Amino acid sequence: MNPAPGLLRGRSPGLTLARRSLALILLCLLLLPLADLRIIAVDPWGELWRMAVGFAWPDFMALESPLRAIALTVSVALWGTFIGAILGFPLALLFHRSRLVRSFCAFVRAIHELFWALLFLQVFGLSAVTALAALAIPYAGIFAKVYAEILELTPRAPGDALPSGVDRLSRFLYAELPLVWERLASYTRYRFECAMRASVLLGFVGLPTLGFYLESAFREGRFGEAGALLWIFYALVATLHWWGHRRLLVPLLIGALFFLGPWPDVDGELLWRFVSHDLWPSPLLEGDLPGLGAWLAGLPELLPAIGNTLLLALMGTVGSLLLALLLWPLASRHFGRPWLGFGGRMLLVVMRSTPELMLAFILLLMLGPSMLPAWLALALHNGALIAFLVARHADGLTLGMPDLPASGRYAYELLPRLYPNLLALVCYRAEVIMRETALLGMLGVATLGFYIDSAFQYLMFDQAFFLLLVTAVLNIAIDAISRRFRPREVPLDDPCSR
Amino acid sequence: MSLLALDRVDLGHGTQVVLPDLSLTFEAGERVALLGQSGAGKSTLLAEIRRRLDHAAAWCPQGHGLVPLLSVYHNVYMGRLERHRALTNLINLLKPRRDAWKEIEQLVGELGLEGLLRRPVEQLSGGQRQRVAIARALYQQRSVFLGDEPLASVDPHQARRLLECIQARHATCIIALHQHRLALDHFDRVIGLRDGQVVLDAPTRELTLASLDALYPDAGPSHHEAGVVAST
Repeated sequence: MNPAPGLLRGRSPGLTLARRSLALILLCLLLLPLADLRIIAVDPWGELWRMAVGFAWPDFMALESPLRAIALTVSVALWGTFIGAILGFPLALLFHRSRLVRSFCAFVRAIHELFWALLFLQVFGLSAVTALAALAIPYAGIFAKVYAEILELTPRAPGDALPSGVDRLSRFLYAELPLVWERLASYTRYRFECAMRASVLLGFVGLPTLGFYLESAFREGRFGEAGALLWIFYALVATLHWWGHRRLLVPLLIGALFFLGPWPDVDGELLWRFVSHDLWPSPLLEGDLPGLGAWLAGLPELLPAIGNTLLLALMGTVGSLLLALLLWPLASRHFGRPWLGFGGRMLLVVMRSTPELMLAFILLLMLGPSMLPAWLALALHNGALIAFLVARHADGLTLGMPDLPASGRYAYELLPRLYPNLLALVCYRAEVIMRETALLGMLGVATLGFYIDSAFQYLMFDQAFFLLLVTAVLNIAIDAISRRFRPREVPLDDPCSR
Repeated sequence: MSLLALDRVDLGHGTQVVLPDLSLTFEAGERVALLGQSGAGKSTLLAEIRRRLDHAAAWCPQGHGLVPLLSVYHNVYMGRLERHRALTNLINLLKPRRDAWKEIEQLVGELGLEGLLRRPVEQLSGGQRQRVAIARALYQQRSVFLGDEPLASVDPHQARRLLECIQARHATCIIALHQHRLALDHFDRVIGLRDGQVVLDAPTRELTLASLDALYPDAGPSHHEAGVVAST
């Protein structure tokens, strides 16, 4: 008789995933001492209490012109998504055929919306063009990739049934597009939700969306006002399926045009100078190669910044994994009483709708500028998002032995079936977390984003652009690594997880 | 007059040969039933015939090949997609062509789908979808009808009616099916396939139900009923 195998020994796929995940967690724990996790604030709990009071008793009367901010937020999200989809669709058709298109898309989506906004801000000022370009450009890259993946899964049978000699366009319009239309539409809807969050965030660089008022309210300690703005935002997201109905799309798009603005006077010469001169290191433009060495030496210390960025991304990913494992039963019908499930779902919806930067900002006010608030924000936002998707997946499953105790249901019935999908979602999110990590630098955490933000502030566009390229390359690398790491057998049918 | 001759050809997908060393001739004006278990090579043979006849043959594929989101009208219209310019087809998606609408309305009416022209195919029952697929093949107006189990998901009574409708418009037809009774009553010739071999090729007047049962080695003598069930 064989003895029972030792701890984590065996070759089943579940054990392989468990070993992988534990290795990742272990790596994170080993590196944790390198992270700066101090609590710098004097009175974090008092601060939290005042915020909670502001959230519980929101002061709607204090808002000056909330309707304008709401209209601008929605308009930017709507048109940003729309233009992104229009640009992304033709790219999707070329996506699998051209390496150039693939690399271009990987590059534009590797840079976060807010960094694009900072870049365009220099040329177009605080205008609608900046806001729309900041959303539309990265979204074009994302749409191209996801649309291409969806189109690849088009069922073949209807196309094969066509008589020979049908031209390409008719074949596409009749026998391909209608078959994937629902999936394309549902992904576009999901992206619009993301655009709503991003549109709020644009307030952080000064565009007068909801985020602008939120930031100043929080910064100046007017928590009643901040609470009111947050409630408005949650209400907008929660009623999205109602006001964002597809029948209302055309009137909404037309109506939104009236709220977009202001439109900038574009000085062509200035624009050209910015693109051809300001963005590049001057030694490079002058062909002075030794001077390039001096230019590179003049950059801020890159290695610690890159190290911090990667460490925070790792911590954020592992944190999301652990939180998702803890949180998903809250929103699943297999656990707890119905009212508890409802409460859990609401909690997850609120956490995933809060823009991560917003969450980090609030935590930062509480805890002070270390990596701790950034870590918590990344883990909470992404953990809640993954938990929500996993709970939805779980609710679609039927249990073989529903009478098991809760722990048995969790560990024996559900988790083995859900875990590959959960881990795959975490791996997909790793790229997003990486992008957000750089972004959190704008709040003062010493990641690459911090140096990008300051380079822009000191008008050193060549440095800023170079650092942006570095973040893009890092992102693409992380994406490649997480693609290798993620469980391969899982068909991720839910494009909304990306 | 010979319609098509296959002379010692190997048929299959890619490198995998399903029907090795196959020789068959088909005559114009002949009504041929293809019988055999699933996986015997019927679809492979039909695909080759379709390839060779190209525009001479109307095609009704297995599993319908319909587009669920589009209406019955548009699905039937697809039968003649290659006869119009891309722009015409594009406009037709937004506003149906009047002449095509009239013609398809009449055709669909004959098949028992009155009033369903605007209905998306995803809202139809299996039998209704089957009839849309047949309507599309009829709309192609070719001299030869090729069908890969076009009667699989309708009841025996309807199957007979639909087959009569197909044969009234096509003197020549080559149809794969499972209903042995229909094969004997409505066709001139039966070709039986088994494991990639032609094991039966005879005029229907020389055949009986019992002789067809030999094509299905795993089933009992009353197989022609079970075959209908298995294919639905």
